[in-house]
Amino acid sequence: MSLRDVLPGMVVIAALAIFGAMVGSYPAYLVSLAMINIIAALGLNLLTGNSGQISLCHSSFMAIGAYGATLFTARYGLPFWISIPLAAAISALIGAALGFPARRLTGLYLALATLGFLQIVQLGIEEFADITGGVRGMKVPKPELLTGLRVSEYGIYLVVLGVCALAIWTARNILRSRIGRELNAIRLSPHAAQALGISVARVKLTAFALSAAFAGVAGGLMAVVVGFIDPVEFGVSASLRQITFIVVGGMGSVAGSVIGASVLSALPEVLRPVKEYSDIIYTLILLGFLLFVPRGLATVWDRLVALVRPAAPAIGSEERAR
Amino acid sequence: MTVTLALQLAIAGISVGSIYALVALAIVIPFKASGVFNFAQGEIVTFGAYAALILTQLALPYPVVFVGVLLIGVVGGMLIERTLIRPIVKAPEFTLIIATFAIGLLIKGALALRFGDSPASLDGPFGTDPLLFAGLRFNPTAIWIFACTLLVTFAVLAFFRYTRLGKAMRAVSISPEAARLMGIKVETVYRWSWAISTAIGTVAGLLVAPLIGINPEIGQLILRGLLAAVIGGFTSIPGALIGGLAVGLIETFAGVIVGSTFKNLVPFLLLMLLLVVRPQGLFGVAEIKRV
Repeated sequence: MSLRDVLPGMVVIAALAIFGAMVGSYPAYLVSLAMINIIAALGLNLLTGNSGQISLCHSSFMAIGAYGATLFTARYGLPFWISIPLAAAISALIGAALGFPARRLTGLYLALATLGFLQIVQLGIEEFADITGGVRGMKVPKPELLTGLRVSEYGIYLVVLGVCALAIWTARNILRSRIGRELNAIRLSPHAAQALGISVARVKLTAFALSAAFAGVAGGLMAVVVGFIDPVEFGVSASLRQITFIVVGGMGSVAGSVIGASVLSALPEVLRPVKEYSDIIYTLILLGFLLFVPRGLATVWDRLVALVRPAAPAIGSEERAR
Repeated sequence: MTVTLALQLAIAGISVGSIYALVALAIVIPFKASGVFNFAQGEIVTFGAYAALILTQLALPYPVVFVGVLLIGVVGGMLIERTLIRPIVKAPEFTLIIATFAIGLLIKGALALRFGDSPASLDGPFGTDPLLFAGLRFNPTAIWIFACTLLVTFAVLAFFRYTRLGKAMRAVSISPEAARLMGIKVETVYRWSWAISTAIGTVAGLLVAPLIGINPEIGQLILRGLLAAVIGGFTSIPGALIGGLAVGLIETFAGVIVGSTFKNLVPFLLLMLLLVVRPQGLFGVAEIKRV
């Protein structure tokens, strides 16, 4: 990795770190949420954008991450930097377990199975109220580095920033590696992929586990940043919001996840004056992109670049988008 | 469990199951005709309930309200099909699934804007006094719902078997290209498949409103309707009826047998199990795909 690759990222990270230190706690909180959305979108995009599997239960894996991390902290006193990775690992395992039956399902059937899973998780949280707080939700303990050593709000902001950067880097590397090419291969043609010796079933399992791990991390961080979790946050509308991120940003591209999640995280603030219409506007944006810009904002950027530099090489141009 | 209790539970199960059956039927018809699976169907049921509420508040008699809601469903379905579905009917499955979901959210958002969260109630056509028969209590609204469900199911069956349009719909579901070559207007078939299914949806809203009240969350019914459609095999009309009744019965008896904590989980565990073991449903025929 050359300096030229790393430098722009470093500059952005430094700028965001300084931004977080300078602005008040509310703007920093909003940026943290946007970064958490990016982490979740990256995971979903690996599964849906790259491997082509529909998932309506991405928010359930966020719920598993959020509740898992919170319970580890509240019950066993584990600090957040142990409880969140632990919860993400559990989320990945459950993701793989869901991937197991999902190997045989495609399209509509997969959508139904993931919708069923979402209901099971949500109802599970609601019904086991003595553990999870049920519909009334649960307060998340203040994050501590070690017992008694509390982390400041800015400290958590930096943690989220660091994890988000790490997530983007990981997703990029996954897509540039063998498994990334396998993910794309089983989307483009499962039969051709199988014929080339790729185990489609194994790749699907991997895709589910990977995306669940990203979601688990995002959920754990969200619990810490927001300080409160309840099952309503992890319903089907949350899943659809994450799908909107990747549809608007661009399916199957890391840039797409980042752009989509950032733009749409800013949207509620922009729409504040017309708050009662914000749900409808959000849905119209999703429908509009599905109908008219199915490849998302990331490709709009590519097309603009191509306009400025018409001689850009055709080969590898798709690689650049990822 | 005494026999009386079991029978009473069966009656309760069949009456909620009738509604699930209607929702399942409304999902199955456009799926059969055009392969579009309408995840917005739950919100269409909610829409029907609110439409019934408004018409009733205009002091119209019940039969007029019934026909009005039916017509609103027909027109609404045609509008949705023409403006939102036809442009993407050939799009990848992902687009269709997410688009119908989004249409549902749009309807829900619009209803929330107009009516807010406050629940309303609607009286059934036959009052609320239970009828006593052989020591069992029958809710007249539930009987009415069951009767309507049976009527709709047989009407739809007859429609597919005997009418020109119904036969055209079956032809299109097998092969749109071949049907078009035989002179069938495929667009007309799509339009009417939506009109019929949304009309069933809005009427389901009218029927269910006296039983569960009117609120923006009626759309949740779709989850049970989906399960019913899966049990019935997605493309089978009698399957949707049997599936709906089965879901209603399972849910009601599960409440007594495993306790109310797990009652709500049972349908979804069943859904997952079915999708894994027998995705074509109990009544469907496995689709053989050539590569």
